[in-house]
Amino acid sequence: MSRAALDSAVLEWMREPLWGHDDERFEELALALFAHQFANCAPYERFCRGRGHTPETVTSWRQVPAVPTGAFKELALRSFPAEDEIRVFRTSGSSGEKRGELHLDTLDLYETSLLPPLCRFLLPDLPEDDPEATLLVLAPSPGEARDSSLSHMFGVAIRELGASDSRFFVDAGELRVEALQAALEAANPRRPLLLCGTAFAFVHWLDALESAGRKLSLGENVRIMETGGFKGRSRSLPRTELYLALEEHLDVPVERIVNQYGMTELGSQFYDSILLEPDTERRKIAPPWVRVRIVDPESGEETAGDESGILLITDLANTGSLIAIQTADLGRRIADGFEVLGRSPGFEERGCSIAVDELLARTRT
Amino acid sequence: MNPQLIRESLDELREAGIALRRRPAGEVLEILAGVLDDWNDPASEWRLELERRLPGATGFSPENVAAGLAHGLSDWTGAALCELVQRELGDFRLDEVLCGPVATGFPVTSVLLAGSIPMPTLLSLLTPLLLRSPVLAKSASRDPISADIVARSVAARDPELGRCIRIVAFAGDDEAAIDAFLEADCIVASGSDETLAAVRARIRSPRRLVASGHRVSVAVLGPEACDGHALGGVAERLALDIALWDQLGCLSPIGVYLNDASAAGRVAAALAEALASLEKTLPRGEIDTSAAARIVHERAEAELRAASDKQVALHASEGTAWTVVCESGAELRPTPLHRFIRILPLKTTDTTELCAALGPLEPHLAAVALEGFGSRTATLSRELAAAGASRICRPGSLQAPPLGWHHEGRQLLTPLARFTDHEARG
Repeated sequence: MSRAALDSAVLEWMREPLWGHDDERFEELALALFAHQFANCAPYERFCRGRGHTPETVTSWRQVPAVPTGAFKELALRSFPAEDEIRVFRTSGSSGEKRGELHLDTLDLYETSLLPPLCRFLLPDLPEDDPEATLLVLAPSPGEARDSSLSHMFGVAIRELGASDSRFFVDAGELRVEALQAALEAANPRRPLLLCGTAFAFVHWLDALESAGRKLSLGENVRIMETGGFKGRSRSLPRTELYLALEEHLDVPVERIVNQYGMTELGSQFYDSILLEPDTERRKIAPPWVRVRIVDPESGEETAGDESGILLITDLANTGSLIAIQTADLGRRIADGFEVLGRSPGFEERGCSIAVDELLARTRT
Repeated sequence: MNPQLIRESLDELREAGIALRRRPAGEVLEILAGVLDDWNDPASEWRLELERRLPGATGFSPENVAAGLAHGLSDWTGAALCELVQRELGDFRLDEVLCGPVATGFPVTSVLLAGSIPMPTLLSLLTPLLLRSPVLAKSASRDPISADIVARSVAARDPELGRCIRIVAFAGDDEAAIDAFLEADCIVASGSDETLAAVRARIRSPRRLVASGHRVSVAVLGPEACDGHALGGVAERLALDIALWDQLGCLSPIGVYLNDASAAGRVAAALAEALASLEKTLPRGEIDTSAAARIVHERAEAELRAASDKQVALHASEGTAWTVVCESGAELRPTPLHRFIRILPLKTTDTTELCAALGPLEPHLAAVALEGFGSRTATLSRELAAAGASRICRPGSLQAPPLGWHHEGRQLLTPLARFTDHEARG
């Protein structure tokens, strides 16, 4: 199958209105994409051969060798000619630090894949006759952060779903608190309103509200989506505390606060189920064209039950790079979804040595 | 333990310190030298108890704990303690005198322990006592055992001295308890940069803070260590340095620098063979899923780089027991510890490149295991000292530091003392 045909098949799946899992379809597309990427990404081909895997020996998507996210800092992992590149998304990082890069020859898959899960898990109440929402974004615009996949995602969301009062509120690195306040007051209370942005930006906003002694009472149409960690930031807050603080200061119940799990190296994102299914356990749900495996690092086998393990993600939206990604995060399975447990460096407690990545991070800051 | 009980402990220790300081310093030294001799004896009840209980508390394998103690305590004798006192405080009197310089311990010293390697615990508890300063210690959360055994080993030698050590336990985030604990006159604290910064911020002046941060060590091999028969022996000794305490100590090497890039493949293969062999006799301990995941991640990244760079090679065990990555350059990369080592070849034999490569480590550099440089060893040692190394030794000796090693680049006893110069009276 040609790359164009593969893109077309994946896009067709993404555009289907039904949120249906189709194992056979996934298997067929994953194996075809693996064969294509094996043939067109030389470092990946050698990596796979080193593990004894080729398209001839791989018979299931589960066997497709996954590359670690850290490799995107080292190599240009593209499955297309370099001259066809139209865009590079980069991971965040402090100056001097190597940043991971996702090389793209098309934005179609990225842009198409982001909308169905966003609508399903953040805007399930979007009216069919007027499918618009007010999107207030606590993150830089794509114009300000051209290599940020997150800003691009928010830009596309505003373009495709945003009412005219939708906009970005981080400008030149500063959160425009007063403008955000004014936008909230002016928003149509009958239209779904999505406050979305980085967790750090929300903390910054909460700090501003706290110092001003202000508490807001946002309407029932409001929901919050936060994403990202606090890497390189001077202030961090555990997620549960952040949600309680948002509930206290904005009067948005925790059940209407959704975490997005995404990364530059992936074309697709995952959202908490809580807004869509408030009566079931909060968990991340993968879109139909994505599969998540949780693997024991010692055995390499999938974990049983709810045991924690490494999150391995197979994302068919990554047609131009590589579909199988080994994240640096731990997770555990919950029903039809999963929970991200993050990276807990417990080694320090046992010794007086220090991991070099931490040491290097300190050197840079 | 609640803050009130901690304060009461401090008061009681201050009281005990008054009696302690009435005892001749030489008598106290003799008792503590006996305690150290007990610990030096592999058959002593204290060693045996620690060997029996530490694996369960820390996850280290029993073989590793036994071997780690044997190496770490090999030169820690009563005689070595007396030499240390003579070397550091020889010019000072410890007993009260009417003239001349006098070194005095603080009325009470608080010791905030960290990690799960017992040798620092032993030293941290005994050294204030040498200066006749009673000790209030908080055990590390990952090692609730060692401090208590050390305290009992002192009490067994001398019950009165035993009453000058009190071990307390409280949660690391119990701010009221921490504040009470930090009311001692001298505070010895070990831990991460963040822990030390938090301690520093909470201490009310005037208090003496003796801080020990997290550190790393490295190995540097010259051409004479990388060939033929020499390489096998060097690899075996380095593997031991890595395997003891599962590479979690500040004396564990995290990288092996080579100034002969052509030897990188050979050194990596020899070290892999030695680590595989050691795994049979000195198995790595249990690690949590997070640590294992980091190892798997770094291995996969090395595999991918190896696919594009023939100089890069991965040698690894089944599971995550040990890993050797042969790199193509000396650039520092994440090292998840737990017996994960990188071979880092330098492009030139010029020591300038080595020192530049060590630059990012400088604030955290502890020891350097050095071998194979022949007549250049002395010059290189000087340069490594200038690069921040506080200890330079041969591979195989990293985990057996002398008692008086200038950890943190400073003396062991003098930071715990107050000095008074009594000028001659007319």
